[in-house]
Amino acid sequence: MDIFLTVLQGVPMTIGLTVSALAIGAVGGIPLALGRRSQIPALRFLAVSLIEILRGIPPIVWLFIIYFGLGTALPQLDPLTSAIVGLGVISCAYMAEIYRGGLSAVAQGQWEASEALGMGRQSVLTFIIGPQVFRVSVPAAASYAIGLIKDSSVAYTIGVTEIVYFANDQSRQSSDALGPFFIAALVYVIMTIPCAWATRALDARLRMRVAR
Amino acid sequence: MPPMQEKPLTKPLAIRLDSIAKNYGEHTVLKNVSLTVREGEVTALIGPSGAGKSTLLRCINLLERPDTGCITVEGSRIDAGTNFTTKDLAALRRNVGMVFQSFNLFPHLNVLRNVSIAQERVLGRTRKEADVRSLQLLERVGLADKAKQYPSRCSGGQQQRIAIARALALDPRVMLFDEPTSALDPEVGLEVLAVMKELAAEGMTMVVVTHEMQFARDVSDHLVVMANGAILEEGHPEDIFTDPVQPRTREFLRAVLER
Repeated sequence: MDIFLTVLQGVPMTIGLTVSALAIGAVGGIPLALGRRSQIPALRFLAVSLIEILRGIPPIVWLFIIYFGLGTALPQLDPLTSAIVGLGVISCAYMAEIYRGGLSAVAQGQWEASEALGMGRQSVLTFIIGPQVFRVSVPAAASYAIGLIKDSSVAYTIGVTEIVYFANDQSRQSSDALGPFFIAALVYVIMTIPCAWATRALDARLRMRVAR
Repeated sequence: MPPMQEKPLTKPLAIRLDSIAKNYGEHTVLKNVSLTVREGEVTALIGPSGAGKSTLLRCINLLERPDTGCITVEGSRIDAGTNFTTKDLAALRRNVGMVFQSFNLFPHLNVLRNVSIAQERVLGRTRKEADVRSLQLLERVGLADKAKQYPSRCSGGQQQRIAIARALALDPRVMLFDEPTSALDPEVGLEVLAVMKELAAEGMTMVVVTHEMQFARDVSDHLVVMANGAILEEGHPEDIFTDPVQPRTREFLRAVLER
């Protein structure tokens, strides 16, 4: 029970890290997704390169590059900030791909109708296409978020005090190799299952409206 | 709407298309098509599928950009062969409303917002002003009670009437209809045609791509028959329906009328 309570101490950090990284990704994914569909070839190339590079490098390598690499130049970069930035930029790439899928799911007629009404590109994206993209992106974004809850555990390698950090700590102190990690596993499952339920409910609600 | 005036012999031009040509790669869709539409006139475009009717209609507001040709709508002129600015495009589209075969209502907005949103973004009306105007128009198409519903809760015929209200909300001087009843059951189509007839009676300039021969015959002032990317013949609908000049027109009319 003690071990359980100790491991629980990592929960706020895990949630904080996941939510922050996801927020960065949700916002940063928008320009990347739009860049990918841009009519300017250079911009498209830049966006595609960024997305592929960000997705191609393992999160742990990103964290090391940012924390140990950039960290030497910027000593004020603490482990948590490094982890948020690292997972945040990776999330940008994944969210961009999710949005791209959402964009192609919006019927061509939506663009045409807005264009025929004389709405400018900015208005069309903000009021017509954007909201629909967000709605169809909910299921994919939710799976990504659930993945991110678990993947945020890599942040323990640079010393972020999240769930695995405490589990590892307990394991070493008690020389119990398995117990603390089983408890960590349980904690992750307790966190992810409600997320899955919540997204299913949200998706069903939004779908009712968007359904054509 | 202004009271009916004494009709002058030649009404001013609302739309003028000069030698519109459009190719998709090797495939020619429109071969130097020219067309004029007079103010307050209803023009029906008929003809077999693949004739280029919809493409021609979509060239009028440049949803489809022709390779060459000039488009003039209510004084705004765009030469498709040259570069034009988004401002020119906006000026032209400002006077043109469009209704699509698949309605294309915005599924994430309720009916009232569907009709109001462009008024706010394009005309700069406040939400309150826009909603007042929207409700008037929804009243007119008989759907004021649907204002708070989402489009998915409305029947096809209702959705198309909402789409008409949405286009009218920007006070266009010309309305384009791209097979407005083709996606509807024949009975449901009637309620849409009724709204269109009313609009025509009020003097709206309309161009309608349609397979509804009865509508083309009874409501339109000018009939244009197209085939293979060109205009076969045009004139008064009664003349063409009773005595078509071109054999191809005869063949087409026989196919659609005698079934």
